[in-house]
Amino acid sequence: MHTTGASWWASKTRPTLRKIDTMKPLRLLFLIGTSAIFFAPAARADQPFADIADQVNKKLVKLFGSGGFRGLASYGSGMLVSPDGYVLTVATHLIETQDLRVHLYDGRRYQAKVIVSEPELDVALLKLENVEDLPYFDIPQAGKRPLAQAGDWVLAFSNQFQIATRDEPMSVQRGVIASHSKLHGRRGIHEAVYQGDVYVIDAITNNPGAGGGVITTRKGELLGIIGRELRNSLTETWINYAVPIAAKVEIREAGDKLRTVSIPEFVDQAMRGKYKPIQRKEPREGPGGYHGIVLVPNVVDRTPPFIEDILPGSPAAKAGLRPDDLIVYVDGEQVISVKAFNMAMSRIQPGQTVTLEIRRSDRESKAEKLVTVKLPLTERPKPKR
Amino acid sequence: MPFKHHTPVRFISGILLIAFGATALVSVHAQTIDKRILDAEAKRVAVIEKAKPAVVAIFSAGGQGGGSGVVISRDGYALTNFHVVQGSGPVMKCGLPDGVLYDAVLVGLDKVGDVALIKLLPQKTGKDFPFAPMGDSDKVKAGDWSMAMGNPFLLATDFTPTVTYGLVSGVHRYQYPAGRLLEYTDCIQIDTSINPGNSGGPLFNMDGEIIGINGRGSFEKRGRVNSGVGYAISINQIKNFLGHLYAGLDTDHASLGARVETVKEEGAGERLTVRSILEDCDARRRGLDTDDELVAFAGRPITSVNQYTNVLGLYPKGWRMPLVYRRNNNKKEVLVRLMGVQPQEVNEEQPKSNPQPQPSPQPPTPPIPNTPAKKLYVPKTGFANFYFNKQHLDRLLAASRKQGDFSALGGNWRIEADALVRNTRRDVVFAVTEEKDKDSKSPKTLVRLNMGTAYTLEPLKSGQELDELLQPAGSGGLMLALYQYRHLLVLGQKGFEGAFYHGGHEPLYPPPPDGAAPRNLKDRRVDTEVIRTEHAGVTAKWYFSLKDQTLLGFEVQVDKEKDPCEVYLSEYRMSEGRLLPHRWEVRYGGEGYPERYAVFNIKSYQLAAAK
Repeated sequence: MHTTGASWWASKTRPTLRKIDTMKPLRLLFLIGTSAIFFAPAARADQPFADIADQVNKKLVKLFGSGGFRGLASYGSGMLVSPDGYVLTVATHLIETQDLRVHLYDGRRYQAKVIVSEPELDVALLKLENVEDLPYFDIPQAGKRPLAQAGDWVLAFSNQFQIATRDEPMSVQRGVIASHSKLHGRRGIHEAVYQGDVYVIDAITNNPGAGGGVITTRKGELLGIIGRELRNSLTETWINYAVPIAAKVEIREAGDKLRTVSIPEFVDQAMRGKYKPIQRKEPREGPGGYHGIVLVPNVVDRTPPFIEDILPGSPAAKAGLRPDDLIVYVDGEQVISVKAFNMAMSRIQPGQTVTLEIRRSDRESKAEKLVTVKLPLTERPKPKR
Repeated sequence: MPFKHHTPVRFISGILLIAFGATALVSVHAQTIDKRILDAEAKRVAVIEKAKPAVVAIFSAGGQGGGSGVVISRDGYALTNFHVVQGSGPVMKCGLPDGVLYDAVLVGLDKVGDVALIKLLPQKTGKDFPFAPMGDSDKVKAGDWSMAMGNPFLLATDFTPTVTYGLVSGVHRYQYPAGRLLEYTDCIQIDTSINPGNSGGPLFNMDGEIIGINGRGSFEKRGRVNSGVGYAISINQIKNFLGHLYAGLDTDHASLGARVETVKEEGAGERLTVRSILEDCDARRRGLDTDDELVAFAGRPITSVNQYTNVLGLYPKGWRMPLVYRRNNNKKEVLVRLMGVQPQEVNEEQPKSNPQPQPSPQPPTPPIPNTPAKKLYVPKTGFANFYFNKQHLDRLLAASRKQGDFSALGGNWRIEADALVRNTRRDVVFAVTEEKDKDSKSPKTLVRLNMGTAYTLEPLKSGQELDELLQPAGSGGLMLALYQYRHLLVLGQKGFEGAFYHGGHEPLYPPPPDGAAPRNLKDRRVDTEVIRTEHAGVTAKWYFSLKDQTLLGFEVQVDKEKDPCEVYLSEYRMSEGRLLPHRWEVRYGGEGYPERYAVFNIKSYQLAAAK
């Protein structure tokens, strides 16, 4: 693999050392805090997983498609969801090609056709022709399985780093569900399409090409589909997550209908050729609604979002916002920079009301207080002639 | 400001509170935990305790950096990565968990496989080191548990290794080399956390046996720390090279000389076929040709290019291994001499552009520090440390001399035998004589062979035709082989003005006594240690039994582009106080297994002392 570095001779002069040292107290705390969680299930796993790994691997496929530029991998993972060659994977750039190739566990190679993809669930369904009797994951059954809980042991399978080709088995890793929470909460930081519930995993599962792989129980029962590579642009860290098969997302469609979808519904309808992708009511990103807040110039990487000025007559002026206010939260989401604030606001449309939490110092006493402000956004005013 | 002084104290008490809380939680759990769980944990702790004492923290003598290693023998030999000793130089300092810092020296190198053998020097002569046993990495499966030990981030100032625990994520993985070096073939992929400083440290199975040497990981966007994907060199691969490493060699990996590709065929699936093959490689001489389908190598089925590169990488250059190929639906097993990967001449060619991240830029080679280990380091081109080669050579020669000392027998040799030459019975007389020429006064050596036809050869005469040197025709140079045999026995090292060194370990495949080609090469394999020699422009390899240092056979190569004359020696019996082989089987060339030229059943050895 061209992405592999060789040498792990450690140099004492490396700056990484310092970094790690500063992390130590944090790690210690983490270990103490989670030891109880680790403890109970840990020892049941003294059995090797070779047989399980073998079983699961037969239901997985290696994908080769578009990519290979700007850090985008041209390979990925997927799972068989029917005996006749339906494959579920993530809806990434990888499948945007006429030449999507699939390697089965036994080395057989096929071209795959994209049936339909659903960005809201971040999944796509592919089809291989002229195959039968393949081992597969039963998606409806997996959808009924109870959600895994934080602290549960899981196995992760994927073709990360394109380590396997043809009949070579995919990589297996083990990890623990660190939490079951919303990916939504990280928006503006992660460029995630999917914004529903995820399993956050303590192992490094979401490497290049891992998307579309699976996490399973230690018996090999399907729990979720491994998501994309997501980097937190603020902390330069990477999140390792999978979308639970049972997860549902609720989207407001054009015509103001609320539609709920889940992976089992998607797979079921898509296999019958009946799945219609969600038409969002609003574009996901855009200029957003009008608020009238002018922030301080964005001069450094993490310029704090202090208000410089308020446009007269604007919603912000009516809501009582003032220069020198520091915006801390937007709809409960921390915004630590001008950039983060702009990204958060860009998703809020005219007619919607956003809740801002503001840190405000009293001019006389210098005492600080937190103020909560409801800010209804409007259409942008037409430029005056 | 007294207030500030309180802050750290508060912080610590906070930690203590949490710690107590956690302890309480754990103890509550402990009462309800299944006994099997506690047993499994106790077992794991016991394995760690057992394996730990053998884990080495390696530092360069100047202390600029470090890696890890593992002791594999009671006399202090330890395995590590090539790229670790590349950083430390040939003399280094090694800490063991007993808290003692030992002097250590480089012994052997496998640069392509990223392996190095070093030796720790005991503080008191003869004191044993704790060591870890080597397991069988072919039994390791994806999903097995594993433990890595070593010194990540050089954390251990008291040399106690860091233990990490995780799954084997995959086996038989292939990871591309950096240029020509550091190629990880057939390696073990792990999610067991390994980080800078873990390099060269052991990967253990849950019985505390070494299954691999940790050396690299997949890095892309997340920096050069554990990415959940690490790789260990399989211990079974290292075992194949170990004889070479102990002998102080700078070894090379094998290649076949053939480029292969998978060809998809209508209805028949895929075949791995030879796309092109070098004209002068041994595989070509054994009959392999383009479009032949490769079936198995060294007993392992191969169906893909990755598998092909993987399995070749397991063996050292120069070994002979069985290859099975198919042509027109006929399967054929052939014994192939493996070529090397690296350029022939050392330093002849360095890869120009290196796409791989290299170890941190090397400072100019510092002088070797004056430690006791320096006395055990003798640099020589082609060797990692010639000191250890000399040691092994002397040991082997001494053991061999115990079976018979021929050093006084420099006179005329006459050997009589009943022979089967090309399936015809013959009475044979073989003689080596030292004669004075009529014109010149200097003695010259003559080899005579009479087996119906009489042959004479003057081995040292210059300007002879190749055909003369190769006679009798079809033997590949039996006359020269007999001459070289006597030369080795009588003169030993001082008779060889060219190379004379220990060549590590190699397999030998002696023919079955009935004269047929062996049905299964694997069953014929005997492991030997080798001496390589050169005299009068002729190279030879001498194969000694690993068990008792008996000379089991030798091959003499008159011309680099021709097959050597192979002589297999057996039925050793006493003859005038010396053990001598009473059956010689001579083989040469041929497809598959070398063809039998003759068998000599020796009736008598008459070996005269030098005048």
